[in-house]
Amino acid sequence: MSAVENSADWLGARLARKEDLRLVTGQGRYLADIVLPGMLHAVFVRSEYAHARITGIDTSEAAAMPGVVAIFTGADFKDTVKPMPQPVVKPNLPARYPTFWPLAIEKVKFHGEPVAVVIARDKYVAEDAAECVYVDYEELPVVRDPEQALAADSPLVHEEDGSNEIFAMTLTGGETPEEQAANAAAVEEIFQRADVVVAERFRCHRTGITPMEPRGVLCDWNDSDGLTAWITTQRPHIDRLALSDLLEIPAEQVRVVAPRDQGGGFGVKAPFYRENLAIAYAAKALRRPVRWVESRYESLMNVGQERDQINDLEIAASKDGKLLAVRNRGVADNGVGTTGVYWGFVMPFLGAVELPNAYTWERGDVSLRCATTNKAALTPSRAFGHFPTRFALERAIDMVAHKLDMEPAELRRRNLVPSLPYTSVTGEYYDSGDFVKVWDNLMAQVDLPAFRAEQARAREEGRYLGIGFACGVELSGVASELLVPMENQPGYGAATVRLDPRGKVYVFGGDAPGGQGHETTTAQVVASLFGIRPSDVVVTTGDTGTTPFGSGSIGARAGSYFVSAVAKACAELKDKITRILAHDLQIEASVQHFEFTNGEIIYLGDAAKRKPFTEVVERIIMFPINLPEDEVGGLEHTAFFEAAKPMICFNADCCIVEVDVESGNFSIKRWVTSEDVGTVINPNIVDGQMHGAIVQGLSNAMFEEFVYDEQGQQMSADFEHYKLATAADVPDIEITYAPTPCPHTPLGTRGIGEGRPSSVPGALSNAVCDALRPWGVEITDLPLRPGSVWQKLREARG
Amino acid sequence: MKTITVTVNGTSYEESVPERMLLVDFLRDRLALTGTHVGCTYEGVCGACTVHLDGEAVKSCMMLAVQADGHAVTTVEGLAGADGPGPLQRAFSNSHGLQCGFCTPGILMNMSDFLARHPDPSDEEIRSGLVGNLCRCTGYVHIVRAVREAAREMREGASGVQA
Amino acid sequence: MYPSVIEEYLRPGSVSEALAAIARYDEGEAMFLAGGQSAMQAMKSRMLRPQCVVDLQDVAELRGIVHDNGALRIGAMTRYVDIAGETTLDGAFGALRDAAAHVGDRQVRNRGTIGGSVCWNYVASCMPAVVLGLGGTLELAAADGGTRRLDADDFFLGPLETARREDEILLAVSWPAPAARSGSAYKKWGLVRDALPVVGVCITVTLGDDGHCTQARVALSGLAGGCQRAPAGEELLRGGNGDTAALARAMDAIADSVETHSDMSADADYRRQLIRSIGSEVAATAFARARGG
Repeated sequence: MSAVENSADWLGARLARKEDLRLVTGQGRYLADIVLPGMLHAVFVRSEYAHARITGIDTSEAAAMPGVVAIFTGADFKDTVKPMPQPVVKPNLPARYPTFWPLAIEKVKFHGEPVAVVIARDKYVAEDAAECVYVDYEELPVVRDPEQALAADSPLVHEEDGSNEIFAMTLTGGETPEEQAANAAAVEEIFQRADVVVAERFRCHRTGITPMEPRGVLCDWNDSDGLTAWITTQRPHIDRLALSDLLEIPAEQVRVVAPRDQGGGFGVKAPFYRENLAIAYAAKALRRPVRWVESRYESLMNVGQERDQINDLEIAASKDGKLLAVRNRGVADNGVGTTGVYWGFVMPFLGAVELPNAYTWERGDVSLRCATTNKAALTPSRAFGHFPTRFALERAIDMVAHKLDMEPAELRRRNLVPSLPYTSVTGEYYDSGDFVKVWDNLMAQVDLPAFRAEQARAREEGRYLGIGFACGVELSGVASELLVPMENQPGYGAATVRLDPRGKVYVFGGDAPGGQGHETTTAQVVASLFGIRPSDVVVTTGDTGTTPFGSGSIGARAGSYFVSAVAKACAELKDKITRILAHDLQIEASVQHFEFTNGEIIYLGDAAKRKPFTEVVERIIMFPINLPEDEVGGLEHTAFFEAAKPMICFNADCCIVEVDVESGNFSIKRWVTSEDVGTVINPNIVDGQMHGAIVQGLSNAMFEEFVYDEQGQQMSADFEHYKLATAADVPDIEITYAPTPCPHTPLGTRGIGEGRPSSVPGALSNAVCDALRPWGVEITDLPLRPGSVWQKLREARG
Repeated sequence: MKTITVTVNGTSYEESVPERMLLVDFLRDRLALTGTHVGCTYEGVCGACTVHLDGEAVKSCMMLAVQADGHAVTTVEGLAGADGPGPLQRAFSNSHGLQCGFCTPGILMNMSDFLARHPDPSDEEIRSGLVGNLCRCTGYVHIVRAVREAAREMREGASGVQA
Repeated sequence: MYPSVIEEYLRPGSVSEALAAIARYDEGEAMFLAGGQSAMQAMKSRMLRPQCVVDLQDVAELRGIVHDNGALRIGAMTRYVDIAGETTLDGAFGALRDAAAHVGDRQVRNRGTIGGSVCWNYVASCMPAVVLGLGGTLELAAADGGTRRLDADDFFLGPLETARREDEILLAVSWPAPAARSGSAYKKWGLVRDALPVVGVCITVTLGDDGHCTQARVALSGLAGGCQRAPAGEELLRGGNGDTAALARAMDAIADSVETHSDMSADADYRRQLIRSIGSEVAATAFARARGG
């Protein structure tokens, strides 16, 4: 760290993070660490049934318990809180949006739905009382299977909607049914003349990313300022608007603070949740601070459930290995859908958009139906929607290769989009990069001919090695062009950069990170641009009272949009600083004639003309006299960055496994990647993002599964049953880079990490299938576990 | 209620607590030592609440506070020395062994106990030693590296190679 | 998430004090707390709601591993970490270390005890099957001064059920000196490392002078019926010399004879396969240990 001196070196330096000191010494401040005087504790009473009519709620025994302050049920909200959906949390996508309130009214629609909330002086007492809230239910038929849910005779989850089809869309061929039919016919024609067709049903189970810190909310009310809500959230500004609109509190009286330290988000903390409304309402009604800290049990019952799609995928290819057309009929098990912003179906929607991946197709025919069921709503998880579709596509490509008797790696390379920009058959715009360069870098890490020779030798010894590949185009932030229709929110990044008279820099951002190291990367960018040190930079995020509007820490927005806004703001300030400095130095010069380095601003035309950065900044802020005409003092600027078109990053994975063909056990021998993440600000942080994403992908693919039984009971709501990978279950990971700086961002950076898990299940299962080529095993379902491998082998062996 | 005497990070506390209070809540709510985190419900699997009880790593959510009566507890707040963060804490920062930091205190407490018993562990031993701590951010790669680096620094420090 | 109200917490210093404490309460009202790594789960989920908790941590006489002329006695409050680290537990008692070293995680092993585990007798746990597979004797004492010694076969009655009465305390698990050329082993399989067993197999064998098996015990964990012997396999192991094919036949017989169930961790067929694959490995290890290898 001490070796880094030159200002430009801060970009790309492996700095230890600014966040670390407090976090390794126990001085982090997470939501559950925040205590206000007189704070009360909330515990939700949750539905024991998947689908039932509420015939009565008896709160009398609980209400009488010492220490219990209040109990609210659905009836308390019916006329006092606006129901969802409201525009602020409703995408611009046509759907059957269910109506719902913070607590269930009349009916419960999934196991774990909040029915009542107990507010008590002590959290132990609150739990005691919650046990004594007695709810009478009349059970209703459970809608469990997404395909059956779409049948005409299915019971309905949301009766008023008249159908369980919450969302359906054809993403190819145009806007009108006629255009889409013409496209479908053209695709069918390609399938008719194709040399090779693979058609398979791929299933991906219900799983997702489970942050180590569950959700929580702490609300405080006073009549002067209104509501202050601390929320574990990735998008505090959206939460603020939603609380204001739904509780009908004037917007200026709502402030939301995402705690600086959040224990991971991964999409799970991106929706607007009904519990937040209930707690805010309670705090306002009781005029007392009220805090709810979610238990893991509640968390696993309610959030972090994603994936859960069936994809009937077909690929047409020519005998010389050209991918011609892709056709997919997706069905997503949407769950109940009662979650603001996402409603369960936004993820599968994007998953369908991203299905074609990095390959050229002549045509595609991609459509999706999302079925409401009596399960928790799908909520976002890293690799948003496309974990299942990418698994299906990458698996199907290997199956094409097997039919063609071609190396899967070679088939991929031949069909990679050769040059960018490019628009996919589903209309997704790929702005820049070099897929082939990334691919060739991956292959350079893996000596495929040598592996094939080793594999052949091993097979003779009765050991079965396999190699698998997959790649992934990921969104690098989400441009307004996509985010407005998708989530009814802007995509631009916003940052306020403020200098103080001591030459220190304060950056304010409206997004709310959860461990990605934004304080450090932002400080590195600012330090690099101003020629100061990262320790001179203080970054504040997530407080709507002090930060400019941001749509949230979602979709890899930091390295793309936020950092770019910071760079733009710094550039504006450097312009002003150098205008005034040139005036003071009595020279004709502008910003390009100055270098900001090592705490000084140096006139390039005469290095003797230089001033300490701090001195110049103090002069502009504190002594704003003798300024150039039309200038005023002060140094603060808010900048917005928007990309005209969506931007991407790209990665490719290679996995090598060994499979025990007797037990089905498999072990990962090697995991190696190639990444285009553009200009890297801090390689440690980027490496860490990749490691985490890949292991999340592995853990999702192999271990984690949300299980509902026949009655819709959630069977996996603790860590004994919902298994996360431990350190002993996953391999070391080799990350390599083949970057192309992004031409559309000021620093060449790309946002990274969000979609990164999505290529993992394909690479892993392709490797297992490669090991089992002697038996022609083709994996089509996740999770991929020893038991399923053993079963597949047993079937293949007959 | 029961009055207990517990030494936490070297300071003796006499407190009256409900018999059912969990040790983790005693540390967090009574002593305001919020570095010890809670990441699961009743199952005691995540390890974020790991502390030392008489020098051994244990999960403070799987004990009643009254069980700690007469014992010494060390939390992450007690891990740093007079000169600031110790070698394990520094290694986690230098090797980027943490992201969100929620699991980190538990990992530090488990690994500090582990390294005291396994001063020169292999990567496989480190990974096995970490089974009781779930991390969602890092994929464990940098955690293993941090523990390995800390072990090296502690060995070299102990042998006088490095001050 | 939090235990229900506990009226009284007691920490006796001896077995007799512990028994006197528990005797003051009616059935179901008081419980012993050993290492607490299962009991706290049950209390926090409110499956157990004791009015009184009798913490055994200060009862020193319940701790320790004692060898006496080949006989072995392990105090009920002996922790997994102590068993896993006890290098004298080899050969005939090797299964104890195999199991203890992989229960839960380091933190759990620092607290959890053999006595707590066998008295809880959870289906997905290791120690009950190991004590059963090793043919241990469970020493119980009651408040009236009476003691009894139960064979493991008579102690484990089914999931979460044992022959221990609530007013009894488990003192120790013990074994007489094993016959010469005895070996045991245990292994489990779970989705992730050191998880609760989806299937676990414990095998003890004693070999005759000619290397053929004269005595065999097989016990399984992870099955819905609770820890259980597998007589079909024991019969086939006896008389065999431990060659691979014979072990496979024995494990096939076990897999075919026991009732397996399907759950989210494994289906019934794969549980049978696990019995075969783990069982063969465990049997081979037990034979090797019996041979002194």
